[in-house]
Amino acid sequence: MKKLFTGPVSLLWMGLLSLVLVAGCSSDEESSSDGGGSGSGDSGELELQYFVGGYGDSWWKEVIADFEEEYPDITVVEHAGPNINEEMRSRWVSGDPPDVVYIDGAGSSETQMVEDGQLMNLSDWAEDVEVDGEPLMESFIVDPATYDGDIYSLPLVFDTWGTWYNEAMFEDKGYEVPADFDGFMNTMGEISEGEDIAPFVTTGQHPYYFLRGMLYPAFGAAGGDELLNDVITGAEGAWTSEPVLEVMKKVEQMQQEGYIDEGFGALNHTQSQMDFLLGDNAFIPVGFWLPNEMANDVPDDFDFGFVPSPMQDAGDPYSIVPDLRPLAIAEEAENPEAAQAFVEFVFKKEYAQLFSEHTGAIMNLNGVDLSESEEVPDYLTEANEMINDPDQVQINNKPHPMSSDLEEPIGNSLTSLMLGNITAEEFVEEAEAAAADYRESNE
Amino acid sequence: MVQSKKQKYTFLAFCLIPTFIMFSIFTLYPLFSGLYYSFFEWSGSSQDKTFIGFDNYIELFNDDIIPQTIYHDYFLVAAKVVGIMVLALFFAVALTQLKIKEAPFYRIVFFFPNIMSVVVIGILWAFIYNPSMGLVNSGLEAIGLESWTRAWLGNEDWALPSLILPSVWAGIGLFMLMLMGGIANVSKSYYEAAEIDGANEWQQFWKVTLPLVWPQIKISILYIVITTLNGSFIIVQVMTGGGPNNSTHVMGSYLYQQAFQQYNFGYGATIGVMILILSLITVMILQFLMRRERVEY
Repeated sequence: MKKLFTGPVSLLWMGLLSLVLVAGCSSDEESSSDGGGSGSGDSGELELQYFVGGYGDSWWKEVIADFEEEYPDITVVEHAGPNINEEMRSRWVSGDPPDVVYIDGAGSSETQMVEDGQLMNLSDWAEDVEVDGEPLMESFIVDPATYDGDIYSLPLVFDTWGTWYNEAMFEDKGYEVPADFDGFMNTMGEISEGEDIAPFVTTGQHPYYFLRGMLYPAFGAAGGDELLNDVITGAEGAWTSEPVLEVMKKVEQMQQEGYIDEGFGALNHTQSQMDFLLGDNAFIPVGFWLPNEMANDVPDDFDFGFVPSPMQDAGDPYSIVPDLRPLAIAEEAENPEAAQAFVEFVFKKEYAQLFSEHTGAIMNLNGVDLSESEEVPDYLTEANEMINDPDQVQINNKPHPMSSDLEEPIGNSLTSLMLGNITAEEFVEEAEAAAADYRESNE
Repeated sequence: MVQSKKQKYTFLAFCLIPTFIMFSIFTLYPLFSGLYYSFFEWSGSSQDKTFIGFDNYIELFNDDIIPQTIYHDYFLVAAKVVGIMVLALFFAVALTQLKIKEAPFYRIVFFFPNIMSVVVIGILWAFIYNPSMGLVNSGLEAIGLESWTRAWLGNEDWALPSLILPSVWAGIGLFMLMLMGGIANVSKSYYEAAEIDGANEWQQFWKVTLPLVWPQIKISILYIVITTLNGSFIIVQVMTGGGPNNSTHVMGSYLYQQAFQQYNFGYGATIGVMILILSLITVMILQFLMRRERVEY
């Protein structure tokens, strides 16, 4: 027995061990070097990364199957799942990214990817693309985000934040769906008395739900695209400007009246949505994905109602700020031709229709008639009509998503304001300071 | 049997080299790469890295949130050391000295939280603290203390103190067992001798039990301090995510936020270096404060 560990045999053991270690280290490189495929033209392998969240993946499966049928020489390799952004990170870091990426969900940031130079500049290519006989650039509901005038991604999913309520409860008890901020306060007052609940809830762990769901529309209504652009880019003086302060005064007012659930600070998004579904609260700002995300927890007597967040002054139309989930091609894509073919393929009206049926949300294409399909949920058809009626709703566009370096500190101060620990005036000062830091770090 | 020198060294090498290789790969390499990345501006998700020298460290000293996170960490350390040690010692003494019939049952009950994942504990306690349906608030209401109810985790002043209870609850069992082991090793004859000398139970505890289990207490305290500085991240991340308004961020959770949510990986690495340095200093100070002559009777 002793011989096994001493003498020349031990050297063998050591050699074996180091071999195992070396093999363990190198296997990763091997698999990645032959993983990409070096197809030229419309053939070879196409690697696709997509996040699977509230919308599910059934739509993707169908599109990919159709794509492979039309391009039999291309094999699509899917990298998908709810944590796919984290799982694929090492591929991006090592310079071996997938060809096409759908940017959505936790751990992904379009702004960051552009800043890191990971996405292909699509400005020239996109100009020439035609889908269903029309130039693609003219068939978007919302134009692609631009970074210094260049396009790096094409907006695929048209999502928007708004305020949800229980339509069944509102009809039953005769509460009025708010048409402006005054109406909002009135309805919340009535609900607060009638139901003995705090009418408004949101997640305090992710303050950006309130920022994007309530404040962006409020800024859009108060100062249009220009103000929205200034607050998102952290322009000097934007956060301390008069219209922003007025909006924040409204938030302060909601807090002081006791309309914001004082327990919101600890809730994550699922908990806040659960409270809303259980009738502990009556209003919640979330995007179109809410019904799909909570599908298993909806009580029987619950009926989703959606209204653009009513933060605007009386007489003004609602404002909605679209939140787009884009499709992009990696700068270092190994098969850019196939990637371009796939992106072109996806933006067909046929798939836009299919998207709404599968996910209950809208694809970013004009002229898709949803009213014909029975599989599209009611709230979506109604919202779609409302969005297309300029008398009721104005659409404000943000230049690109806010950088998390600015969103984090502003979200923190926002929580403090909504808990009643600071005033609206203190909030705008803190936000302006955060914007100054952000500008400085980006120089 | 005589072993030749060569045989002896080959055997030593056989034992040490694999360990050393493992140690290098899994401890030294991450340690030094962390230090290395702290000198870069890097998002952590791309190939672009820019060397920026000590800029991250300068930012660290100018970051208003950092002193808060350090304070929160040491607040938790102090609260956990006191809470866990007092309770664990009390239970250990009670279960070994007081001749309780159900001692094995209590031992299992107190140890139970230790076999649960901290994530599960965090979620469980988040429900206990839930303002509308949680045990804490409904308990307070039941005994007529409505005015004391509040949104524990959603309140800037109360969120951090609220984290103490689950952390202490989760920690007691392990240290209770360690101390029980120590107490069991104390010979019964010391207690008999003390009793004959007229010492009451209280005096026996201070003069006999405590000095003789001091090595276990010392290790327990060090262990609590180190695991809290490195691991309180989990409970914070699960229960509050560092909020509301940074009021519960500890160094670890702030590192996570910077590195993985704000894409400042280099800055996150800098915070990691800070945690390492602070932990080392703390442990050294503790070693110094707790040095005592080994007591033997």
